[in-house]
Amino acid sequence: MGREVAESCVDTMLMEMVAMYSARFYANKPELAARRIEAIGYQVGHQLSERYTMERPRFSDHLEAIKFICKDFWSEVFKKQIDNLKTNHRGTFVLQDNKFRWLSRVSIDPSSEKETEDPSTPGESKAAQAVSMYLYFPCGIIRGVLSNLGIPCAVSADISSLPTCSFVIRVKA
Amino acid sequence: MIVCVAVVGHQNNPLYIQSFTDADDALKLHHIVHCSLDVIEERVNNPKRSGTTLNEAFLGLLYPTVNYKVYGYLTNTKVKFILVTTDLDVRDTDVRSFFRKFHAAYVDAVSNPFHVPGKKITSRTFAQTVSNIVGSYGLN
Repeated sequence: MGREVAESCVDTMLMEMVAMYSARFYANKPELAARRIEAIGYQVGHQLSERYTMERPRFSDHLEAIKFICKDFWSEVFKKQIDNLKTNHRGTFVLQDNKFRWLSRVSIDPSSEKETEDPSTPGESKAAQAVSMYLYFPCGIIRGVLSNLGIPCAVSADISSLPTCSFVIRVKA
Repeated sequence: MIVCVAVVGHQNNPLYIQSFTDADDALKLHHIVHCSLDVIEERVNNPKRSGTTLNEAFLGLLYPTVNYKVYGYLTNTKVKFILVTTDLDVRDTDVRSFFRKFHAAYVDAVSNPFHVPGKKITSRTFAQTVSNIVGSYGLN
C-alpha cells in the first residue's frame, strides 16, 4: 500500500534543507546548522528503523545490527548495499560506500581544487567543506537507527575521495 | 475475547494502554500488564535452550492468571506489546497474526513526524486501527 515519490523530490528536499539551515536559519554558525540537521536525521533514522526491522528476528549482537545497516537498511534507503565494512573489533566500524547516492550529483569545481595546492591551508579543500554539510543528515540517520536498536554511538563521515564516502561509527561503551 | 492491549517502551514506560471491556477494573488490567513486564525481562535474559528460538519476536504465553492469559511480543527496538485475553482456547496463529497487524499499526503511528519518541501515542487513527484489529480477532 506504499505510495511512490520521484527521487528528484528527495534530492531537492535534501539540497534545500542544507541550503536553508546553512544560509538562512543558522547563517555564519555552521556547527549549529550541522547539529540541527544531524538531529533531524536522528529522528528519521529512529522512525525508519522501526519500519525496517519489523519483519526480522531480534539481533544478537552489535555486529548483527551493523550488518543489518550495511545490507537491508542501506538497500531500502539507497538502493544498494555498503561496499566495504571494516572493524577494529573494539567498537569502531567503518562503512564504505563507493558511490554514495546522495552525493552522486555533486560536482567539484576544478578551479577551486587548484587553489588548495597552497600548503598553508590545513588540507581541507573548500569543496570538501561544502560537501560535508550534506553528510550530516545520513550520519544522523545511522545514529538514529543504532540508538533505537539499543547501541548508543557517534557517527562521522569521511569524504577524502569522492564519490566514495566512508561513515565511521564509534560505539559508546 | 481480548480485554486489554498495551505498548510498553524500552525503558518500561507505557506508550499505549487500551482496555476493551467495562466489566473489569482497568487498574487490575494495568497491574497485570505491569507484572508481565517482569516475565518478559526474565524470558529475554535467560533464553530457554529447548523450544523457543532465541531471537524470535513473538514470546508466546507469558503467564496464565485465574481469569486471563497474557501474551507478549518484543520488537527489535525493545518495544513490548502485551495482549490480555479471557479466551480459554487460544490459537497460536490467531495471536501471531494479531501481533503482526498490531506491529504494522504501531510502526505507522510512530512514523508520524509529530509523535515524540518515548511519549504516549495520541493518534486517533492508531486507536481506531487497534479497535478494528481487536474486533476482527479470531473471526477468520
